[in-house]
Amino acid sequence: MILVVIIVTFLLVRLAPGDPTYILVGEVGDESFVRAARERLGLDKPLYEQFIIYISNVFRGDLGYSYLRSESVAKLIVERIPATLLLVLTAMFISALIGILVGTIAAAKRGVVDLTLSTLSIIGISIPYFWLGQIILIVFAVWLGVFPLGGMVSVGYEYQGLQYFIDVVYHLTLPAMTLAIFNIAFTTKITRGSVLEALTQDYILTARAKGIPESRVVFRHALRNALIPVVTYTGFNTGVLLVGAILTETVFAWPGMGSLLYDSIRLRDYPVVLGIFIYGSIIVILANLVVDILYGILDPRIRLR
Amino acid sequence: MTNMNNQRTTYTITDLLKNVGWQLLCKTSKAFRVNPRFTAGFIIILVVVILAIVAPLITWHPPLKTLVGRPFTPPAALHPFGVDDLGRDIYTNVLYGIRTSLTVGVSSVTISLAIGILIGVIAGYYGGILEDALMRITDMALIIPQFLLALVIVAIFGQNFQNIIIAIGIVSWPGIARMMRAEFLSIKERPFIEAARAVGLTDVRIIFEEILPNAIPAIIPYAVLQINTAILVEAGLGFLGIADPNVPSLGLMLNTAQQYLVRAWWMAFFPGLVLSIIVIGLNLLGDGLIEYLNPRLRKR
Repeated sequence: MILVVIIVTFLLVRLAPGDPTYILVGEVGDESFVRAARERLGLDKPLYEQFIIYISNVFRGDLGYSYLRSESVAKLIVERIPATLLLVLTAMFISALIGILVGTIAAAKRGVVDLTLSTLSIIGISIPYFWLGQIILIVFAVWLGVFPLGGMVSVGYEYQGLQYFIDVVYHLTLPAMTLAIFNIAFTTKITRGSVLEALTQDYILTARAKGIPESRVVFRHALRNALIPVVTYTGFNTGVLLVGAILTETVFAWPGMGSLLYDSIRLRDYPVVLGIFIYGSIIVILANLVVDILYGILDPRIRLR
Repeated sequence: MTNMNNQRTTYTITDLLKNVGWQLLCKTSKAFRVNPRFTAGFIIILVVVILAIVAPLITWHPPLKTLVGRPFTPPAALHPFGVDDLGRDIYTNVLYGIRTSLTVGVSSVTISLAIGILIGVIAGYYGGILEDALMRITDMALIIPQFLLALVIVAIFGQNFQNIIIAIGIVSWPGIARMMRAEFLSIKERPFIEAARAVGLTDVRIIFEEILPNAIPAIIPYAVLQINTAILVEAGLGFLGIADPNVPSLGLMLNTAQQYLVRAWWMAFFPGLVLSIIVIGLNLLGDGLIEYLNPRLRKR
């Protein structure tokens, strides 16, 4: 699967108009330098040999060199991954907590509560999160001034330990909130549908007949079985969330992969853009793998098979 | 039997469209009566489309022209949505931006429909190894983050309007291919297809005349939602600065606004608001259609 991503990247670079050297090593003026790079990447050799060279390079973690920042692409990206993961996982956690609760209530209550919550969740899914981020930033940071304008830590302070942690959380609040709002809407929608489905099953009727209180029926019996599709969708949604994080980071200057991508596009630093594509895809593929494993844990029927 | 067959040999693509159009019309008129969400979405989208069409009549500045007003003028009578950093009228550019969004949405979905239907049809109708191979490819394409792939394609092949449409089109076919295959698998087994085979229709005619017209209505709500995704991808790309600078784009406007958030809130507020309204409208429309076409959901 990861191999497929690399092949796609290779083909794209080869199909692109112009000399692929410029895309792989970046735009540099020096003629002799370009020639050296072309030789190093084997671009003067036949296509299949180039392909093998490219694949082995990528597998060794050599994605080229960003000349604008004089760093290797792999190092630049790997440095940024923790910040992005922190943002994504925080948003995922918040939205799973709130989304599952709200979705279950919507399914159990029905009527006006359900209609309001469903409509809100459609609006929540629709609003582009980068715009939402901008509005949140304008309101909370520019007008009210209660949160920082961006970044991950306060500039000019050398916080240690607990203070550092608090500072990061303080900076994390707005971007995580932005990303979570989108995802809460999504999780709510999936949970509602799934719980509604579960509530029509026979074992719910049995539980009710036994005289178990309704809240217990909903949360213990229905929700537990309804969680499987929620987990699946959340996993498949990782790609969307990653893209969301990339856009949100750009708004809040959060120093993750998104900000790196934004800067690299502006500076036409193509090796970095390609690298982010490859790393991003790998993260999504791994997330799908985790979902498959979780699936087995949540649903014993699959494990037994 | 042969007589009937001969009469029907002049079946054209127009007939196919007429057939699909008729089914769509019947379903739409019924959906109106049943589903308030669908109605709301339809009205929103109708207004948006009308605004896009009459954009030249209701604006009084040329789009993208700089210095039609003082840079950073807040919303005022002559500039209802304010003026941006280069003195461009935001109201004008937002209205023309709607045109861009809709064009990107519809054209790229047309591309992805063409690819998706072709692959889904071949896989669903013929089956066998071909199906396995095609579906394996589809599943792989489904996992790769579409937004990033589109971004890389446009970045490498050049940032112009045409490339953006094509890129979005060729990254979003897998979902359609999957649905199409599922539809074909189920319709293929129905008695009237068996009848068509018994009469001796060719595969091509069975696919295009018998199965496809019955399969297309099922993917229409999905196509509507796909237009939505395409519009959001275009806006997202624009927001990251991947856009054609010669075309007004809501996403690109938000990109410019990002640098002046502290100074000019209106530069971000209005383009994003309009973008949200388009997306909400299409989501309501698509969800309404799905709900309508799935009776189990409708009853609830």
